[in-house]
Amino acid sequence: MRLWIYIARRLLILIPTLVGLTFIVFALTHAGGNNLILAEYINPRLSGPAREEAVAKLTAELHLNQPIYVQYFYWLAEVLKGNWGYTNTPIFSGSVTQAIALFMPNTLSISLFAALLIWVIGIPLGVFSAVNRDSVGDNAVRVTSFGLYSMPIYLIAVALILALGVYLKVLPFAGVVNPLLVSNVPWYHNGISYPTHILLIDAIIHGDWVVAGNAFLHMILPSLTLALGVLAGVIRILRASMLEVLDQDYIKLARAKGVPERAVYNLHARRNAILPTVTFFGYTVAGLLGGAVVVEEVFNYPGIGYWTTQALLNNDVGGILGSTLVFGLILIFTSLILDIVYAFLDPRIKY
Amino acid sequence: METQKTEYEADRFREIKTSLSVFFSNKGAVVGLVIVLVYVVDALLVQFFPQALGLKHPYTLVSNYVNPVPQPPSASYPFGTTFPGVDLFTSILKAVRVDLGYSLFVVLLGAFIGTVLGVISAFAGGIVDEFVMRITDIFFSIPYLVLALAIGFVLGRTLDNMALALAIVWWPIYARYARGQALSIKEMTFVEAARASGSGGGKIMFRHILPNVLPPIFVQISLDLGTVVLVFSVLAFIGFIPNANVPELGYLASLGLNYVATAPWTVLFPGAAITLFALAVNLVGDGLRDVLDPRRRS
Repeated sequence: MRLWIYIARRLLILIPTLVGLTFIVFALTHAGGNNLILAEYINPRLSGPAREEAVAKLTAELHLNQPIYVQYFYWLAEVLKGNWGYTNTPIFSGSVTQAIALFMPNTLSISLFAALLIWVIGIPLGVFSAVNRDSVGDNAVRVTSFGLYSMPIYLIAVALILALGVYLKVLPFAGVVNPLLVSNVPWYHNGISYPTHILLIDAIIHGDWVVAGNAFLHMILPSLTLALGVLAGVIRILRASMLEVLDQDYIKLARAKGVPERAVYNLHARRNAILPTVTFFGYTVAGLLGGAVVVEEVFNYPGIGYWTTQALLNNDVGGILGSTLVFGLILIFTSLILDIVYAFLDPRIKY
Repeated sequence: METQKTEYEADRFREIKTSLSVFFSNKGAVVGLVIVLVYVVDALLVQFFPQALGLKHPYTLVSNYVNPVPQPPSASYPFGTTFPGVDLFTSILKAVRVDLGYSLFVVLLGAFIGTVLGVISAFAGGIVDEFVMRITDIFFSIPYLVLALAIGFVLGRTLDNMALALAIVWWPIYARYARGQALSIKEMTFVEAARASGSGGGKIMFRHILPNVLPPIFVQISLDLGTVVLVFSVLAFIGFIPNANVPELGYLASLGLNYVATAPWTVLFPGAAITLFALAVNLVGDGLRDVLDPRRRS
């Protein structure tokens, strides 16, 4: 029962956070001045009285002449209706919601792939490092993760491109697919695949295994870069939490009553050590989303991050704040879900 | 009275000696400190005596459009050149000053705002506390890189604004941290004693609580500096500053990105310079954390 009270309280905290997020995005939209907002709607070639007329009409339409706190509610109402404004970048120009629908699937697919890699690489390494504390292997893991932690993510990306893409030539490192493979495919136009916009899934739907394989190969390097960028933190936390768990009385009891070491690690210790890292996954998600901005830029991978950098380079306020809002929403809701999952998993949590 | 004072001083001296010996017994921290000092000396030389390093234009990049294509490392260009004909070695020497200075600015400003707000929030409690903590929640609900990018964009895409935007994004970490520290210190007996002897709220907050919150904050600063310098260079790398002609390590790395397959040194050398610095700062931060850890002191 008290679990439900905790969840209800957690949901209640969601409200001020959402209001705060939308308020920050709104405030930033307006801090740039009305001209930046109007620029998204007005044809730049328009001049003279025609331009003034258009400006006046839009100012009234967008309520830009109202007091700022009134404007917030008008803006919020539009956002809730799904009107997030316009974006104008070389890779996409149109409504922000359309851009998000187009780019989000790519970001989600490489982020999820990266999260999977973190899970598969990070947890065994963190557990291994704690179990063999101060051994050669532990020191190797610690030095490597310390080094990775100190590397800017673009350097990781470039190092992987050079090693696996340029010298070994085993993996492609630009775009989502080899353009020659999709030049004559009916469900792929102008760099957009239909119906889900995730090339890998669309190719499987249409039974085109060559394209699907190629799309998967293109996903590996961006995802691996993202994973390596966040991995060091995960290993560190997991190692510390595993060491703490191994020091607990019930582990000593298990050892004293003759449970084999392997079972102590795998059955008793590991599950409890992983629990704190679940909340740490909030940090991981933030790292993945922030990292996606750089990774997609380096690999020309058309996701939200690539769109954000393109918007930045083209002074496109709609794109930058649209992506800020959507990144914020993803992070808020993933941490909500993780907190609730954590509350279910760990009976010791204080409500 | 006199003996009491010298005794106090002797205690103080012994404590500093223990701290130093804990720090210097950590080999990694000492290596880190040496590397950090090299970077600091370089930054100071570029700032005050650029002639000593043979730099004619210490604050801008020198392009050579006659030969813009990246050249491999050679005797005259120890780290090679990057597009457009920029000598990497001297540019990295210049860039250290920019990266070091701005990241220090970001961390110190963030730490200042955060610590003040955190201590006030812990001390005032109630609705003030709730309000400040909800604001930090909101800041944590947006990936910091994206938020810094958006704030910096609105402020205007310059180097100064980029640093300011990062500081605005960075203070909530310190607010939470300082609040946590202040909450535990608030309950200690010496604060109670101060209150019993008639000290006012402001005096307790700034004379008694703040000095005890600061040491862990300084450790946090040294641990954060490594992260901030990376984020700073990443923002410059993705092209935050239009038509930049500043020597900044992330920007330097981005210049050669189109040539990276044939000229890997264009990205690897600036990247390595920043990695080495972040690594050294992190090592020093780890050493400082040991100094404050009571388990290591005994």
